Amino acid sequence: MAQGLDIDWTYAIDAIPLLLEGAKLTVVITFFGLIIGFVIGVLTGLARGSDNKLIKGIATGYVEVIRGTPIMVQALYIYFAIPQLLGVDIPSLNASIAAIAINSGAYIAEVVRGSVQSIDRGQVEAGRSLGLSRIQTFYHVVWPQAFKRMIPPLGNQFIISLKDTSLLAVIGVGELTRQGQIAVANNFRAFEIWTAVGVIYLAITLSLTFVLRRMERRLNVR
Amino acid sequence: MIIQVRNLHKSFGSLEVLKEINCTIEEREVACVIGPSGSGKSTFLRCLNLLEEITRGNVIVNGNDLTDPQTDLNHVRTEVGMVFQQFNLFPHRTVMENLTLAPMKVRKESKEQAGEKALQLLEKVGLQEKADVYPDKLSGGQKQRVAIARALAMNPKVMLFDEPTSALDPELVGEVLAVMKDLAKEGMTMVVVTHEMGFAREVADRVIFMDQGKFVEENTPAQLFTNPAHERTRLFLNKIL
Repeated sequence: MAQGLDIDWTYAIDAIPLLLEGAKLTVVITFFGLIIGFVIGVLTGLARGSDNKLIKGIATGYVEVIRGTPIMVQALYIYFAIPQLLGVDIPSLNASIAAIAINSGAYIAEVVRGSVQSIDRGQVEAGRSLGLSRIQTFYHVVWPQAFKRMIPPLGNQFIISLKDTSLLAVIGVGELTRQGQIAVANNFRAFEIWTAVGVIYLAITLSLTFVLRRMERRLNVR
Repeated sequence: MIIQVRNLHKSFGSLEVLKEINCTIEEREVACVIGPSGSGKSTFLRCLNLLEEITRGNVIVNGNDLTDPQTDLNHVRTEVGMVFQQFNLFPHRTVMENLTLAPMKVRKESKEQAGEKALQLLEKVGLQEKADVYPDKLSGGQKQRVAIARALAMNPKVMLFDEPTSALDPELVGEVLAVMKDLAKEGMTMVVVTHEMGFAREVADRVIFMDQGKFVEENTPAQLFTNPAHERTRLFLNKIL
């Protein structure tokens, strides 16, 4: 049996600039991916509750396809399969953001749909009986209450998406996990490097959790 | 007349809940609708502002036929206030904001204008000191009084009450009925679905007894309560009085 190496944290410290560069990209991909994903999710979630069968069908199909396939396959598809079909290259960063957006959008759609549907029908009736239009009732009455209920599950999805970016190493984008692989390839110090990588992920997710919790608290006070 | 109902039918799927209802409500009239649960009272009331779709027949409110696709329903609804059994206050808005939302968004009133009127209405229902609290800090009776004030903020021509005291603890019923009595005295046209026979007897100009989706009998409270014409009315009254 191979003898374990002594742990030497200087390897991790030396790798920090490289890893932080990756962390920056991880944050960028997550941030833009989730902003777009949120927009997709809201539109799709509302479309799922639509009376129009075509709109509802498209939205449902999207959610089922994305939820039914792994994000890694989706990323490979966006980065390799679609360019082959269209004959254009997609930069790996753009493909990464697209993968997070499209993937999170499907889950966020379900969060949006569930929250909106959970608002008591009496709220809509009260709004409509006062003469508010359908859109006004939604905007002023239903959405603010639904949004409050969305925050915990949205926070969950944000953290999942952030961690999902690690799978984007397969399309070569230099996010945190990819940089970790490079560092380990250089110095073979797997224990130190992967510990450092894990700590950085944890620091990012805990910061995100902190922000979300504050937001939730503020909205609960109203 | 302010409300005219002609040959109204309403079905949920194959279940017919309203059968050929004809009725008119005159201005300044207070009509109470009574009857066993499942008789269609609430559905009837909800057809008067089209919260329930009408299967057949016509409901004409203030000259507007609700079943006519040309009718601006949102506008008609501003003239028909509704008070719900479960209050349905907006929990994310203060009492004041509950009252000013529709006047500001629908009538385009300024915040000051809507706020001033809201304060007057809150004073009327005895809750001016609650203007800035959220609904979850109110008792059931207070919530319902706010809900009445909220409906009044649109200056409706008629008020519909859907079992307004049924969700209240017994000791809170009185304060809501008192507000409704004041309203009736001021000449508000009211249609009230209720189980409060005392209120119906005292305040109503007309009591309508419904059973199995039909208007079985309508009369002055004195006549209907003391001398019902139909056996079914008599049986119902015997059970509850």
